[in-house]
Amino acid sequence: MSDLRIIDIQKRYISAQAREENPFMLHPVRLAIREGEFFSLLGPSGCGKTTLLKLVAGLLEADGGELWVGDENLTNVPPESRRFAMVFQQSLLFPHKTIEDNVAFGLKMQKVGKQQRLKAAREMLEHVGLSGFGSRFPDELSGGQQQRVALARALVANPRVLLMDEPFSALDPGLRQEMRELLSRIQKEFRVTVLFVTHDRDEAFALSDRIAVMGEGKLQQVGSARELYERPETTTVASFLGLRNILGGVIENGHFASSDKIMEAAVHLPLSDGDYFMVIRPEAIKASENGQSGHARVRGVVQEMKYGRGIYSLIVKVRKQLLECVLTIAQAEKTAVGEPIDLFVDMKEVWFLKE
Amino acid sequence: MKKHPRFLSLFLFIGVFIFVIVPFVPLIFTSLSFGWRWPDVVPQAWSLRAWEYVVNDGRTWQAVGISLSIALIVTAINIALAIPAANALMRYPVRGKWLFEAIIFSPIIIPPFISVMGIHLTFLRLGLTETVLGVVLAHIAPTLPYMFRALMISYQTLSTDWEDQARMLGAGAMPRFFHVVLPHLAPGIVAGASLSVLISLSQYLITFIIGAGQVVTLPILLFPFISGGDPGVASAYSLLYAAIAILTLIVMDAALRRYYQRNKATKEQAKGVKP
Ligand SMILES: Nc1ncnc2c1ncn2[C@@H]1O[C@H](COP(=O)(O)OP(=O)(O)O)[C@@H](O)[C@H]1O
Ligand SMILES: [Mg+2]
Repeated sequence: MSDLRIIDIQKRYISAQAREENPFMLHPVRLAIREGEFFSLLGPSGCGKTTLLKLVAGLLEADGGELWVGDENLTNVPPESRRFAMVFQQSLLFPHKTIEDNVAFGLKMQKVGKQQRLKAAREMLEHVGLSGFGSRFPDELSGGQQQRVALARALVANPRVLLMDEPFSALDPGLRQEMRELLSRIQKEFRVTVLFVTHDRDEAFALSDRIAVMGEGKLQQVGSARELYERPETTTVASFLGLRNILGGVIENGHFASSDKIMEAAVHLPLSDGDYFMVIRPEAIKASENGQSGHARVRGVVQEMKYGRGIYSLIVKVRKQLLECVLTIAQAEKTAVGEPIDLFVDMKEVWFLKE
Repeated sequence: MKKHPRFLSLFLFIGVFIFVIVPFVPLIFTSLSFGWRWPDVVPQAWSLRAWEYVVNDGRTWQAVGISLSIALIVTAINIALAIPAANALMRYPVRGKWLFEAIIFSPIIIPPFISVMGIHLTFLRLGLTETVLGVVLAHIAPTLPYMFRALMISYQTLSTDWEDQARMLGAGAMPRFFHVVLPHLAPGIVAGASLSVLISLSQYLITFIIGAGQVVTLPILLFPFISGGDPGVASAYSLLYAAIAILTLIVMDAALRRYYQRNKATKEQAKGVKP
């Protein structure tokens, strides 16, 4: 197996202006990415995703740590010899070369014969749906097409790892969706290991086998999309994943009481006493009890209603706390902004975390 | 959008005509006439004497050869010096960057006559005076700044992302330079080279002092005829000089086009196929 292993790689930028207070630092990162896995680094802009990706690529020199693929130590191997490929946010196609020559570039560097590499380039262009575009120049292609060429060019030399740095963020939403599907299909077809960087939660969720959430130069949590969303380890991860219903409180004898006293309920998880944060996914809040037990009831006032793709998304104010929940159209039609509403929190669906 | 450019292009054409074409007319007349004097507007008698002299004199072609060789060698050295210099100054956080720039640009700020006297003394000691090598070295001072400036601007617009991308496709240092950096620098190199060639071709003072009459370039050959009073031959030499300068520019421009392998025709053709 040739897994990609990142062992305590770290980096501190030495700022050009020595006076700058605290230059950015990437704390030691330890990750193992399985062969053929689609792995994403997800985090807000400026958290060090590109820095980590460039360290893996070798384009930046690490201050410490090691990089392995299988049983090969690549720490001191220059980027051009690592057999990695990279797709950047801009397609970076060489403007004076035709599309075909661009795609064949990696093979040319490996001294593959002209006929053979052009044949491979044409086949790869077909995979990304651009057969017949080979003799054009990059400026004769649209942004989406250029990014497809960049993908084809990265894959043609059969890289061990494909690194991608927000490759679709410069495209418009429809095109982005299309490119995600293309990438997903091609990744499965070629079984290439992908390390994908994005700040877009939906993008990471749609594509990845596993995701590492990053924040402030650190890996916050690693897991599948579902694990991260349903069982976040910190409030930082929870709020970055869009979970806004976070209530501070105390658990005593299997009973949770929020510190602003808006709710009290029995806890279904075996947790010891202490201070906790309760994370309630919007889907865990219902507008009626449905005759089931284990629901905590809260009463609030509807503050905002938004329609989105077949459901309503509500912001309800309970004392000072805002709760976000989703309602079916039928339920939403019974209420309106400014009206009081009873909400039932499904205690089997909530999640507790310490800090 | 219609009236203005047409008016402007007419204006430009008249300007070019008055300042570029018209001065050549008396040159042509003088070189082809026999005793053309005031108040005749057009020469009374025509003669190919001056041209016969210029074309048949072996020294002419020798001077052309030497002028061009010097200009091309100087330009080649300039390219070799300016690429690493511009690369270092634009890409790396060099301390005292302004000092290096000031040193490189100083030859075009300080009058050449001053520096060439110092160079002359040094070259005398080194035995470089009266040699082509000495003249080549002396020509570098007034030409390098232009090459450097052109390349500095080219480097400014070359993001390191391109080289990173080539690296990730397996390109080592040499392929990166030839496939990514050089194509981007090419227009800058041609712009710098054109200036470098023209300035080297037009040097009189530096060539005269360092070459001491032993290195005969076109301006050296031309000068006695202007001051010595054969306007016919002087005009013919001037025209020859202008032709060589223009020809060099055209050849360099053509070389750039060839290098890119995409002149206007093929691009238009490719555009036409676009659905
Ligand atoms: N070359 C550099 N020198 C100093 N600081 C840098 C450099 N490149 C990036 N940074 C800083 O490092 C932090 C992380 O940058 P980056 O890895 O590009 O973040 P992301 O890709 O997650 O948006 C930012 O705060 C940025 O200002
Ligand atoms: Mg980034």
